[in-house]
Amino acid sequence: MQDRALSCEPLVRSNRLAARYPGASVPAISSITFAVEAGQRVALLGPNGGGKSTLFRVITGELAPSSGELELGVGHSALVPQSERSRLDYPVSALDVALMGSVSRLPWWRRPSRADRALASESLRRVGLEDEANTTFGELSGGQRQRVLVARALVQDSPLLLLDEPFAGIDAPSAELLAALFDQLAAEGRGLLMATHDIEQARSWDLVLCCNRVQIAFGDPAQVLTREVIERTYGSSLVPLPGDESLAITPPHHHHHFEADR
Amino acid sequence: MFDPFALPFFQRGIVEILMLASVSGLLGVWIVLRGLAFYAHAVGTAAVPGLVLADGLGFSAIFGAFGAALVMAALIALLLRRRSVGGDSATALVLAGALALGVILASDVFGSQGSVDRLLFGSLLAIGTPELILAAVAALAAAVATAIFGPRWLAAGFTDRSGSSDSLLIALIALAAVAALAAVGALLATAILVVPAATTRLIIKRLPLWQLTTAALAAAEGAIGMTLAYQLNVPPGAAIAVLAGIVFALVAIAVLIHQRRPRLAPLALTLLGLSALAVAGCGSDDGGEASSSKITVAATTTQVGDLVREVGGDAVTVKQILTPNSEAHDYEPRPNDVGAVAASKIVFASGLGLDAWSTKLVKESGSEAEVVDLSSGLPVSYATGEGEVHADEKEGEAHADEKEGEAHADEKEAHGHGETDPHWWHDLTNLEAATTEVETALIAADPAAKDQITANADAYRATIKKVDKQIRACLNKVPANERLIVTDHDAFIYFTERYGVTSKGAAFPSTSTQGQASAGEVAALEKLIREAKVNAIFPESSLNPALAERIASDTGASSDYTLYGDTLGAADSPEGTVLGAEAANAKAMVAGMTGGKERCRIEP
Amino acid sequence: MIEWLLEPLSEPIVARSLAELALLGLVSGTLGCWIVLAGRSYSAESLAHSMLPGLVGAALLGLPLVLGGAIGLAVGASLIALVGRIKVLSSEIAVSVVITSLFGAGVLLGLAPATPAGLGGILFGDLLAVGFGEIALAAGYAAIVLAILFVLHQGLLATGFDRLNAKALGRSPAQLDLVLALLLAGATLVAVQALGNLLVVAMLIGPAASARLLTQRIGPMMMVAVAIAWVASLAGLYASYHAELAAGAAVTCALVVAFAAALLIRSLRELLASDTRRRSRGAQSRGLRLRSRRA
Repeated sequence: MQDRALSCEPLVRSNRLAARYPGASVPAISSITFAVEAGQRVALLGPNGGGKSTLFRVITGELAPSSGELELGVGHSALVPQSERSRLDYPVSALDVALMGSVSRLPWWRRPSRADRALASESLRRVGLEDEANTTFGELSGGQRQRVLVARALVQDSPLLLLDEPFAGIDAPSAELLAALFDQLAAEGRGLLMATHDIEQARSWDLVLCCNRVQIAFGDPAQVLTREVIERTYGSSLVPLPGDESLAITPPHHHHHFEADR
Repeated sequence: MFDPFALPFFQRGIVEILMLASVSGLLGVWIVLRGLAFYAHAVGTAAVPGLVLADGLGFSAIFGAFGAALVMAALIALLLRRRSVGGDSATALVLAGALALGVILASDVFGSQGSVDRLLFGSLLAIGTPELILAAVAALAAAVATAIFGPRWLAAGFTDRSGSSDSLLIALIALAAVAALAAVGALLATAILVVPAATTRLIIKRLPLWQLTTAALAAAEGAIGMTLAYQLNVPPGAAIAVLAGIVFALVAIAVLIHQRRPRLAPLALTLLGLSALAVAGCGSDDGGEASSSKITVAATTTQVGDLVREVGGDAVTVKQILTPNSEAHDYEPRPNDVGAVAASKIVFASGLGLDAWSTKLVKESGSEAEVVDLSSGLPVSYATGEGEVHADEKEGEAHADEKEGEAHADEKEAHGHGETDPHWWHDLTNLEAATTEVETALIAADPAAKDQITANADAYRATIKKVDKQIRACLNKVPANERLIVTDHDAFIYFTERYGVTSKGAAFPSTSTQGQASAGEVAALEKLIREAKVNAIFPESSLNPALAERIASDTGASSDYTLYGDTLGAADSPEGTVLGAEAANAKAMVAGMTGGKERCRIEP
Repeated sequence: MIEWLLEPLSEPIVARSLAELALLGLVSGTLGCWIVLAGRSYSAESLAHSMLPGLVGAALLGLPLVLGGAIGLAVGASLIALVGRIKVLSSEIAVSVVITSLFGAGVLLGLAPATPAGLGGILFGDLLAVGFGEIALAAGYAAIVLAILFVLHQGLLATGFDRLNAKALGRSPAQLDLVLALLLAGATLVAVQALGNLLVVAMLIGPAASARLLTQRIGPMMMVAVAIAWVASLAGLYASYHAELAAGAAVTCALVVAFAAALLIRSLRELLASDTRRRSRGAQSRGLRLRSRRA
């Protein structure tokens, strides 16, 4: 699986993409024009409700674009959701969860083969959890759970990984391990699109896409991440931290509409 | 047709539904928001053991239902605190446990009658003061609690479901469910408590407004549903449920159209309005019946209806409340029934707990009618279970007899209302006595028609005597020691005692549909049938014959001959009269006992 | 003692009931696990009531009752799935709205004078009345359910764990929901006439909910659920035979008692393991604290 050609053919490319939820009067995202190529790490910056998850849903096919173009390269994309959203009461082990990634490659009537199991074990080893393979998913720590979800995406073996705030609320060892792993995956020729609030981390990635319902900017972080772009991306919720050059973000509270209760 | 809103029972129903609508507005939104719909449904349905206890021990059904609901609420509240148990699984299992307890109480402790089931089917047409008070208390409690705890319930909706304010919500829903149970029955309570709030949820997102709209919608659906029910002569509970479902579907479709094609929204709204009008309009095609100078009387059961028609003849108009296909257990009064009772001079009841609801119906209808309980002056009466005690005197395996004996001893001791078996008309001397009672009552009500009524009654008594003789002659064709029967339910003691038939037992311990047989009893019964060489087991016309057929095929007996126990045959069939049904019973028994060899003719 | 145990089994009525319960135990132990994990107990409890309008309609049109019941169930299950797709309403509200309306419609239809008596009685099927036809039907259905669940296992597991991601994994949660709903409707059709709705609900939910408290993996959960269904069936039938209790209710009580016992065992186990648990929670709580600051 490592020998995927480092071609310049983008894994995902969009042109003035917009998407709207059924019943909503305004689109959740619009004017999104970006591309992720093999081997690229792209950070996706934006406030909560700014359309990061919506963009992921459009790429995975859960939501159809309402206008604009979206081109997907060969193979599926693999989504790594936020681990805090996953079910802790589910009767599965870490290995079972990793093995779920094989579902995407199997027709609906096939069960995972021995090779799939071996791949799942190998993926757990890559995220440093070979010892926890038989631990119940709900009993792992938050960081470990996030790593299991990354392992699942590895089993899925997609050229494009969609990472939904993978560093949110996880322990330091897990964060270090994941950061190294992401670099490694990019070096293998996979494309990574990571939603994040961490501007400093975004600076260290190859490209950055800033988005607050409409696209604010897309390009090299060194050029794109100006104070003006960040302010437009995050609105006024930007606070300069005393004695620090960098900027901290206070994400607004999760929206407590009734819609949130599903 | 006169205005239904002028009728006292209708007014009370409207007041009740309006109070429940305010409960629906106040609590329905929390039920929808907090995912408590299953619980709201279950807590009313789980009232069964409370109703059986109330019936068996003779206290108020409302207290029984509320007590059971509170126990259910406490258990659920306790289980919801445990994260390892899904709330829906916990609800399902507590409900299953409560219902199973109800079945065991009904079949093995009290041997309950079908009247227990009727309590599960409330009616907006028979609302009394206790129901009104209960609804008012529910509405008041919901209002006070919402004012105090509303913000906390809203906040908790987004985290988890535990804490004392939540236990209060759970208790309040239990109270509301019991109030709705009395009005529309256990299975349709959600039509008031859940469906309106779910409908308004589709269009309204802000809380106080959502509550107000829900209350208004529930009130409108309730009032329109009751009016439609009156015009179409259907039970109001079912009418409200279907109306609420239709309104939900229309709103959902309108919202969907609005989402897909916002420009079509006005069209969708017009369609919605038109269909609502159509629904309201299709109800207005029913006219009232012309009244004549004849007096009107009501009869509760099919048997009493037939008797009163025979005696009254052309001189009286008889309104019969139960029809042959309306099962006693799911009987819900229809508006015409209540209207009939309200307009009647006399209500003839069968008595002995078989139609205990009739007294309440007379009272809540605002009727001045005199209730004549035909069971009060009967020459022959038996205690329930007496017939099978006789069966034990016959020889048989000691073990089986022991079982039978035990079972019936229990039944006798604990039997709820009146130890007297209510199926008195199966002894034709009782029918004769009842004829005289009907005659007296009718003449007192309409002295002008005396001659006609007396002539009718004399003719009917003569026919009864004739049929009685024919039945006896018919059964005498079978040698006395072969006159053995096994029935579905223990409803034929009056018949078997009169004609020297020996009942070897019955498959079901109780006439309530809640009742189930036990494996031990059925096994003992099968042994008995084999040993005593019973040729036939007789299913009853109104009941599921599956168990009778199974026992028959196990023992080699026949189950081809059906008896009319609780109800008569269809109105235009020969079995549609009491005498026709008794003749059919005699013919069926003789054919069954002799394996079809002996047949007889009985002509009234 | 031996006689006490063997005597009931020599009665055909007990043996047949046990065979039927054992076969339906296979269905409820496996299908029930998915229903419990998906939180669909309300559907399982109420779906049978959607048979009523179908039964009345079939009786009025002179069609076979089974066909009417099947149509009623299919309509109920599909409407629940359809209403369940409305974003602002949870799936249990969908069940409530659909079942209440259909049951009300059934009551209204049943008022037609041509309706035969005792239709509603089908919902109160009788365990002791089970014959070889019902047993063969249960065996056939058990085979179908086991085969379908075996084939779809991985997809059901992945979708149940993470619905949002199911599309990315190439599985449609709506389709799998429909498969589960139809399997449930089939189980209701096969089992309700034989056992009655009460016992069907207890069989579908009880063993799976108990097994969930006792196991940590889906495979063992299903096996334990089937075992609990079998043991409770046997215990309930013994109680019904020796103590002369209503048969279906006795088995239902045995299933509810099994759940209570599982709850007790789980609590005791949690108490005993509280030490080790506190240690492993240490790592987790750090994550929790971070999360609670965000939320």
